[in-house]
Amino acid sequence: MKRSVLVALAVVVAVVGALIVLWPRGVEAQAHLAESAQLRFVLTPASTKSGVNSFDLRITDRAGNPAQGDEVVVEPAMPQMGHAIAPITAGPLEPGHYRVGDVGLFMAGQWEITVSLSAERVVIPLLLT
Amino acid sequence: MKRSVAVLLLALGAVLGIAAPAQADGAQSGADLHVAQTLGDRDLTVIIRRVAEVPGPVHVDVVTHAGSPPGEITLTARAAGAASSTAKVVLGAGPGFYSGVVQVDRPGPWELAVDEATIPFVVPALVSSPWENTTYGGFIAAGLFLFAALLLAALGRPRLALVPTAGLVAGVAVAVTAALLSPSIPPVAAPGTQLDPTFDNVNDPYQRTSAVDFSRPPVNLVPTMKDDDLVLSLTDGSSGRPVDDLLVHDSAFMHLVVVSPSGQLRHLHPIRTAPGEYRARLRASEQGTHAIAAEIARRGGGVQLLRSSIDVSGSAARPDDGKADLKTEIREAGRPSTITAGFGRRDLQPWLGMLGHMIVVGPVSGSPVTAPIWAHVHAMIPPAPGMPDKPDESVAAYGPDVPFTYSFPLPGKYLVWIQVERDYSVVTVPTVVEVPAGKGVSEK
Repeated sequence: MKRSVLVALAVVVAVVGALIVLWPRGVEAQAHLAESAQLRFVLTPASTKSGVNSFDLRITDRAGNPAQGDEVVVEPAMPQMGHAIAPITAGPLEPGHYRVGDVGLFMAGQWEITVSLSAERVVIPLLLT
Repeated sequence: MKRSVAVLLLALGAVLGIAAPAQADGAQSGADLHVAQTLGDRDLTVIIRRVAEVPGPVHVDVVTHAGSPPGEITLTARAAGAASSTAKVVLGAGPGFYSGVVQVDRPGPWELAVDEATIPFVVPALVSSPWENTTYGGFIAAGLFLFAALLLAALGRPRLALVPTAGLVAGVAVAVTAALLSPSIPPVAAPGTQLDPTFDNVNDPYQRTSAVDFSRPPVNLVPTMKDDDLVLSLTDGSSGRPVDDLLVHDSAFMHLVVVSPSGQLRHLHPIRTAPGEYRARLRASEQGTHAIAAEIARRGGGVQLLRSSIDVSGSAARPDDGKADLKTEIREAGRPSTITAGFGRRDLQPWLGMLGHMIVVGPVSGSPVTAPIWAHVHAMIPPAPGMPDKPDESVAAYGPDVPFTYSFPLPGKYLVWIQVERDYSVVTVPTVVEVPAGKGVSEK
C-alpha cells in the first residue's frame, strides 16, 4: 500500500514537472518604455500576436506631468522585410493618454514602432508571435 | 510459457510500432522556386517545383504573360555541365501555365536551362539530422532493452533482468534529452543560400563549417548593348572574377529597372547566359541615355543596388499607360507618405510574390540618371495561416486597393511608377509626386 502511494506521488511529481517545463509560453503584453530628450513614452500593446492590434500610450515629460499635444503619430515598420505600413494618427483620451486602435500588424516578427509627438520621436521595438 | 511468449510478442509489436513511423518524416525540405525571366521577347515565370524524390522527376511550370508569342522552348537539366534529360514545352498563344518534366538522378547543385537561360538550383538530399538519429536510436535501444528484460524475466531470471532495465532507462533518457534540446540547436549553414553548393555539402549538410560571416564583396556592373539586348557583366569588387552566386530574391536573380530619358519604365528580369553575364531584351526602346538599376542578392546575404546608365539607339517610345485611382497622402521629407492605388476589381494576381511594386526615382532635375534616390517599395500579400508556400500567379484574388508607405528622404519632384499584375499582364501606372521640405523634425 505504502509503495503504491509512493509510486503515485512520483508519477504526480513527474507529470507536474513535465507540464512546468513543456507548457507553451506566449510573450506577455508588457509596457515598453522609451525616452526622448524631453518626453517619456510608455507603449502597451493590446496583444503580442500578429493581426489587428491597438496601443495604449502614456506620454509624460521628465517630471511626470502629462505631455501636451493634440495628436500622436505611430509609424509601424518591419525592418527585416523592408516594409512599412501607413502611419496612424490618434488624439488624446485625456492629457498624456492616447489610444491608437486598428493597427494592422499582419506579420509575426520583430516590428519597430516609431512614435512621435510634435517634434519628439522614439523608436520602440515590438516582437509579435 | 505460452503466456510469456504472448507478452514478448506484444512487447515486440510495441517496439516496432514506435520505430516504424520514425522514417516517415524528415523528408520535407526545399520549396518551389519561382524565377521571373525576360527570355527574348517573352516575359516568363519559371517555377521549379519541390523535388519529392531522387532520382526522380522535377516538375517545371512555365508561366507566360499577355502578348507572349507562342512557340516551343527546351528545358534541360544539367549536373556539373552534363545534360541528363531534356523536355520540350509548347507555349500556346494564350497566357497561362505550361508544364514540362525533367529528371534528376542525384542530389546536389543542378542547372535548368530554358533555351539560352540557365537557372542554378539545388536538389536537396534527404538527410536526417544527428539529433533525430539520436532520438530514434535511443527509443529503438530502449525497446530492445525492454524486450531483453522481458525475455530474462520470462525465463525466470528477474535479477539479471535489472541490467537491460537500466539500459532501457538510459536509452529513454538519451532520446528524450535529444528531442527536447534539438529545437535550440542552431541550424547549419545551408548550401545554396549561404555556402556554395557542392555535391559533397548537399549530401552531408550537417558538416559544420568554421565560417561565421557569410557576406561577400560588392559587385561591379558594366552594361553594354548587343543588338536589342542589354548585356550586363557582373564582377566581384574584390577579385574581379565573374559573380556567379546570385540568389533568387523576390522571385528573380536580378530586378532590372530601366528608365528612359522621357521617363518610361521597364522592370525586367535578365536571364543568366554565362557565369557573371546576364541579358535582357529592350524592345522598342527610345533614343538616348537610359538610367538603369539592378537589385541583386549574393549568396551569404544582403541585397545590393547597382546603378548605371546606357546609351540606346532606338526610335519608338512606348508610353506607360496603366490607369488607377490614386489616393496620396504626401508628408514632408523624412516622414512616411502613403500612396494607395485602387484598381477597381478584386482580381489582381501576385507578381514576383508581391501584391504590387512601386518604383521611386528622384528628386529629378534633369535626367533620371543623376537622381540621388532610387527605391523599390512593395505592397505585400497578406499571409494566409497554414499556407507556408506563397500563392502563385494563378490566384487572381487580391486587391483592389494596393497600399504603399514610403518615407521620401529628400524634398523635390519624384517619378513614381506602380506595377501590379492583372490577367497575366503587368499594369504600369506612372505618376509624379512633389515632396515638401521637412519642418526640422529632430532625428531621434
